[in-house]
Amino acid sequence: MTLLLPLTFLLPLAGTLILAFSHTRLGERGSAWVGVISVGLAALATALLVHQFLGMPEARGVTLWTWIAVSDFQPTFGLMLDGLSLTMLGIITGVGLLIHWFAAWYMHGEEGITRFYAYMNLFVASMVLLVLGNNLLLLFLGWEGVGLCSYLLIGHYYHTAANGWAAFKAFIVTRIGDAFLAVGLFLLFRELGTLNIAEILQRAPELWAAGDPMVELTALLLLGGALGKSAQLPLHTWLADAMAGPTPVSALIHAATMVTAGVYLIARLHGVFLLAPDVLLLTGVIGALTLLAAGFAALAQTDIKRVLAYSTMSQIGYMFLALGVGGFEAAIFHLMTHSFFKALLFLSAGAVIVSCHHEQDIRRLGGLWRRLPLAYTGFVVGGAALAALPLVTAGFYSKDEILWQALASGHGELLLAGLLGALLTSLYTLRLIIGIFHGNPGSDNARRAEAGRGLAHGLPLIVLVLLSTFLGAWFEPPLVEVFPAPHEGGEGWHLALEIMASGVALAGIALGAWLFLRRGAWLADVASHGWGARLWRLWHHAWGFDAGYDRLLVRPYRGLVEWLRNDVVDAVVGLVARLAWWLHVGLARTQTGKLRLYAASMVVGATLMLLVMALAT
Amino acid sequence: MTLTMTHLMALLPLIVVCATAITVMLGIAWRRHHGGTAAVTVIGIVLTLAMLLPIWTMAPVEVPLLVVDGLALFAGAMILISSLTCAALAYVYLDNYPGPREEFYLLLLCAAAGGMVLAASRHLATLFVGLELLSMPLYGMLAYAFSERRSLEAGIKYFILSAAATAFLLFGMALLYAQVGRLDLPAVAAVLGERPTAWGLAGIGLLLVGLGFKLSIVPFHLWTPDVYEGAPGPAATFLASASKVAVFVVLLRLVLSTPAFQDDWLRGVLAVLALAGMLVGNLLALVQSNLKRLLGYSSIAHFGYLLVALVVGDGLATETSGVYLLTYLVTTLGAFGVVTLLSSSYSGEDTAALHHYRGLFWRRPYLTAVLTVSLLSLAGIPFTAGFIGKFYIIALGVEAERWWLVGGIIVGSAIGLYYYLRVMVTLYLVEPGMRRRDAPRDWGGRAGGVVVLGLALLVVMLGVYPAPMIEWVRLVEHITVR
Repeated sequence: MTLLLPLTFLLPLAGTLILAFSHTRLGERGSAWVGVISVGLAALATALLVHQFLGMPEARGVTLWTWIAVSDFQPTFGLMLDGLSLTMLGIITGVGLLIHWFAAWYMHGEEGITRFYAYMNLFVASMVLLVLGNNLLLLFLGWEGVGLCSYLLIGHYYHTAANGWAAFKAFIVTRIGDAFLAVGLFLLFRELGTLNIAEILQRAPELWAAGDPMVELTALLLLGGALGKSAQLPLHTWLADAMAGPTPVSALIHAATMVTAGVYLIARLHGVFLLAPDVLLLTGVIGALTLLAAGFAALAQTDIKRVLAYSTMSQIGYMFLALGVGGFEAAIFHLMTHSFFKALLFLSAGAVIVSCHHEQDIRRLGGLWRRLPLAYTGFVVGGAALAALPLVTAGFYSKDEILWQALASGHGELLLAGLLGALLTSLYTLRLIIGIFHGNPGSDNARRAEAGRGLAHGLPLIVLVLLSTFLGAWFEPPLVEVFPAPHEGGEGWHLALEIMASGVALAGIALGAWLFLRRGAWLADVASHGWGARLWRLWHHAWGFDAGYDRLLVRPYRGLVEWLRNDVVDAVVGLVARLAWWLHVGLARTQTGKLRLYAASMVVGATLMLLVMALAT
Repeated sequence: MTLTMTHLMALLPLIVVCATAITVMLGIAWRRHHGGTAAVTVIGIVLTLAMLLPIWTMAPVEVPLLVVDGLALFAGAMILISSLTCAALAYVYLDNYPGPREEFYLLLLCAAAGGMVLAASRHLATLFVGLELLSMPLYGMLAYAFSERRSLEAGIKYFILSAAATAFLLFGMALLYAQVGRLDLPAVAAVLGERPTAWGLAGIGLLLVGLGFKLSIVPFHLWTPDVYEGAPGPAATFLASASKVAVFVVLLRLVLSTPAFQDDWLRGVLAVLALAGMLVGNLLALVQSNLKRLLGYSSIAHFGYLLVALVVGDGLATETSGVYLLTYLVTTLGAFGVVTLLSSSYSGEDTAALHHYRGLFWRRPYLTAVLTVSLLSLAGIPFTAGFIGKFYIIALGVEAERWWLVGGIIVGSAIGLYYYLRVMVTLYLVEPGMRRRDAPRDWGGRAGGVVVLGLALLVVMLGVYPAPMIEWVRLVEHITVR
């Protein structure tokens, strides 16, 4: 236990160091081996931890050491393992291992593979630290670490300027959220005098009454951090552009793990959020809005990965909705199943992209189902789970739980948003699958598609296919001890809701099949004229947030900067630098190199000293 | 008072270092051999270091004129580690040196012995002897590459100014003797009492001038950049590390054992000196384009920070000084180690101009990493050793409510960050096409390279996991004679 727990992040960290210091000596195969094995060993350690935890299911921790001790401020390198962190740990190392393995096939023959694996391993280490840290300072360290790795990996193909800008965008937008989070942490420390998570959860209800303005403010700031990291409205604009990175990166960081960190943060600090009911409701509303906005946007994308990116936002919106209605268990459960089926979808997309010679435009693909049977299976199973087809898929069980929590807590409007979102999910999923695999190939790249071969390509996909079916829902996260009991309600209502949700999903599939298979030409016609075209453009650009921010924030800011270039404040700030410069020039005159001046200065110093001493008596 | 077996045991490290020096001298007389001499030196120093452990358990031991207590052992260990690093670096550096190479180790050992005496002195006579035994060999080391104009200049400058400073020191001692009639520190402290007379204060003031010169405290700092720049790499390393540590420790002992230092005026003087050091040192380094000079200015600033501990003079002062000295030592050794390795093997002037370092990362990534870590630590960035030291100093200043000093530390650190970053940026710029002098290809496998890598690792380790260091320093405080 004391050894196993730190190993889960030390092993990937060791992988990073080996890769970083190998200096390209390892070659492609060697780098892939180191990268995969280090995460594999971490996954093994996690498996042993799971075994131990299930034998004795109670929260436990390891304090490695106290970093520095100054009265109340005693940040420790302490790790904590409870049901929540164990679930996250399992997702990170388990799904992470599959994605690392798949990447060995995906990245084959590309340059910079050592760099790729070094950053991927560093990401896993940071993410594990984020979920295991028993205090918010360590969590923040991991939080920043995953942000850094995300930046580095989005810009993996840095020779293209656009990728660099996408990395910038992701970094800067999430940084806005991070600033909120940091201020939130300062507030927590000021008010509660601790950053230890267990102590915060214990002291918060003692200090604050529910609805206290201070706790509302703190929760709001924390929510700001979560929104940035999890790409929720209004800080969501970076995620679609983040698809510039290699597809395994999108699968691991921008679908399965890092973007869910916000959900983890809120779930982890649920005690604080429960004291701030307004902010909690806001969380749910933002989740509902995001899931709808992103769902519409996903309908009008032409790039496979962008469809999946908006779908990720939408699914995380579901998780936020669940958090907002107090269904923490449901949120984490959906987080887990989502990580399975979204990783599957991204990896299948990666398989399609590589097989079709890096073609990712849906309109230029098509008719691939016979050529790429495994990728097709992946898309169908993953898509079914995403659309939450009843009974056979993992997504059904978790999404149903979220909707049920919304109903049982009496949030009818959120429930409606969730149901509408389910319809949209079915539609865009079907559009994606039909676009890629059915109809006629739209380009030579699609006609010359070659199916991937080998264990590294096949096995991760097969495992994820299995996990995306109802088998994945059999993993029940051991969260009973962690969260307050979920909302209860009549069994009859629950059954009715299940039937209704299934009906919506199936209706969406049916509608989609009719629209995309039978009325494709009509649909294209509508989307290219008048109102239809406008709507298409609006959704294609995801409601125009980018352009809006550009006009509302970026340009005014730049104008302001231009305007303030020579203002008083700047002059004062510049004065400090100039003062330092003048003082430097003045002092540098004393450094003449002449011995007699040096000796004279010493005599003057000694005389002054004696003078002061004489004055003293 | 007769010498007992315990006394002999306590003095054994000193004796072994001296014996090693004599062995080296005889060895040179018999047959010159660079590798052999270096090996004897290293073995002697390692043996001494190992010997410190058993003596640790019996400390404190009071020997006539000397006291072997926590502070003395702590300083001894730091001096020996610096000497070991210098020996390892010198072995690479002097590889190609045309003149005699073996004498450098002789000088190094003598200076180390001097430093150890100084740190253990509790009598003004041993203080003087130790200080001179430390300084005399240093003159030789600084001017070791005497065919180089700058090296010779460094040696002569340091020699003349140091002699002048010693004159002040001796005069201060004479004044104290005139006042007290004795030279051992406990007696001096007792007679001076809390409110010393004018002569006593003048004596202490002149003592401060003499020691302040060695620590390059403003306004006795002017020699520092010139000497750092001209001195051969290993000699500069020793001057910046062991010599300063030994002198600071003896100053700390003076402050701790003499209640007269708690006098408000003296504290005020120390505070002014500290503030001047932080600001002047950092400002002078602002656009410096020679790395060795820059490190010299930076050391002025760092001893300005350290003086804060002496201004406060009680409570956490010893712990703070210990932690700061240790982190500063490790960092400085790392930084100077890189400079020395880049100047190896000897071929005239050292590689210290900043443009030599442009794009170093693309040629020598590991060496650049070591230098980067060292510079980050000097700037006091978290997760490096320097942060812990600076944190202690600031915490001490805040606790004593010395707001001016805290302000000075903050302003100084801000200025410092600018010039440390300037150097770091240079390291990673695109490499110019010209060929330059460089570290030997196999530097990592050589003794000096291994030591430097180890130091960088230590800098990071102390920053991430400082607990053992802090424990150790607390233990040192515990067995220190007041």
